[in-house]
Amino acid sequence: MNGKESLIRVEDLKKEFVGVHALNGVSVEIKRGEVVFVVGPSGSGKSTFLRCLNRLEDPTGGHIYFDGVDLMDGKININKHRQKMGMVFQHFNLFPHMTVLKNMTIAPMKLQGTGKEEAEQEAMKLLERVGLADRANAYPSQLSGGQKQRVAIVRALCMKPEVMLFDEPTSALDPEMVGEVLQVMGELAKENMTMVVVTHEMGFAREVAHRVLFMADGQILEEAPPQEFFGNPKNERLKAFLSKVI
Amino acid sequence: MLQELQDKFYLNFIDDNRWAYLTNGLKTTLIVTLFAVLLGIAIGFLVAVVRSTCDKTGKLRILNALCKLYLTVIRGTPVVVQLLIIYFVIFGSVKIDKVFVAILAFGLNSGAYVAEIIRSGIMSIDNGQFEAGRSLGFNYVQTMTYIVLPQALKNVLPALGNEFIVLLKETSVAGYIIRSRTYDAFMPLIAVALIYLVMVLAFSKLLNLLERRLRNSER
Repeated sequence: MNGKESLIRVEDLKKEFVGVHALNGVSVEIKRGEVVFVVGPSGSGKSTFLRCLNRLEDPTGGHIYFDGVDLMDGKININKHRQKMGMVFQHFNLFPHMTVLKNMTIAPMKLQGTGKEEAEQEAMKLLERVGLADRANAYPSQLSGGQKQRVAIVRALCMKPEVMLFDEPTSALDPEMVGEVLQVMGELAKENMTMVVVTHEMGFAREVAHRVLFMADGQILEEAPPQEFFGNPKNERLKAFLSKVI
Repeated sequence: MLQELQDKFYLNFIDDNRWAYLTNGLKTTLIVTLFAVLLGIAIGFLVAVVRSTCDKTGKLRILNALCKLYLTVIRGTPVVVQLLIIYFVIFGSVKIDKVFVAILAFGLNSGAYVAEIIRSGIMSIDNGQFEAGRSLGFNYVQTMTYIVLPQALKNVLPALGNEFIVLLKETSVAGYIIRSRTYDAFMPLIAVALIYLVMVLAFSKLLNLLERRLRNSER
């Protein structure tokens, strides 16, 4: 990934909940088109880190440069920048009172001024790509977990984001539905989407990631390409962690 | 026997066009209820949004305090007393349409209950919905308008319906404005209001304690 420009640069990011240091000075650079996986034991701060990137969680210190703009600057309009950062949640968070199509078109229509027809065409194209075109008029409650998560992914893609943030996207799924979601994510990675993925799917990380970060105690303890990360881990905590999960 | 019933019916409803009292009464009731409901929804909606916004973001502190005061006073005193205070005390020295006073009083009263109903609806929506909206780039108001409130209102519809039935029946106490004119208004009414308020405050304190205990046992 050398030579590509940096899309996100995080400097000394800190997040303190009442009395607890969830993030203890995290610095990392993510380049355009790079697929970065974040793994670690639960409570390590990896989800907090991800949620701080679009300030869904407000960091208590540090800087996040996204496309050259410091998101920690109080004067910027965070909503504008969030439009460029798609996010996929563990529990899907589809809007239950809207059809699949409406879920996908509401943000582009209200925020980017896209016309209804154009927004729906774009949404249908994306739905076709993930094999859900026939579910466009269904409500989220009528979908399976895997279908919901695929819709959630394309809903975020409708805003044409520069980066996609995934917060344990398969953790709430039944095992037989994990594959369909990972497949969509794998295709996204191939299309050079910049991705930051928090996950427990080690096999998938090894397969898709350009770089894997290991977090524990709110810090990044090791970062390496997947072969090295899984094949030759250096940090003791990482070794212990890998021996437990693989 | 049948004749007697007939006579009574005639005397009560037909003679002197007395049925008009009933239909007029019904008309007034409906007018008062309709406008009071609208006023109640408007107030309740605003108060609920202010309260939830303060809970979620910590903004609007002063407005929130005012809303809390409004809720405490309105929910802590009986509607009859509120009605009488508005008519005899607040508008005591000006000539004013009784129907208007009734609408104002019931609207203000209902608003407090509607506010808490809607707030409970907002709180019932999973925070993930809110986060999903924000992550797409919607601001706070847009997220509320497009995503949270439509779901919240749907959830509280039965409770709102209930509140409006209560309101419809409550408007019967508007009759007091007409009958109680001979009384000295200010002192006794304020006294009554205060006594009720103290009782209700004590009761809600007890309820709070109970709620906290129930919450602790959930962990």
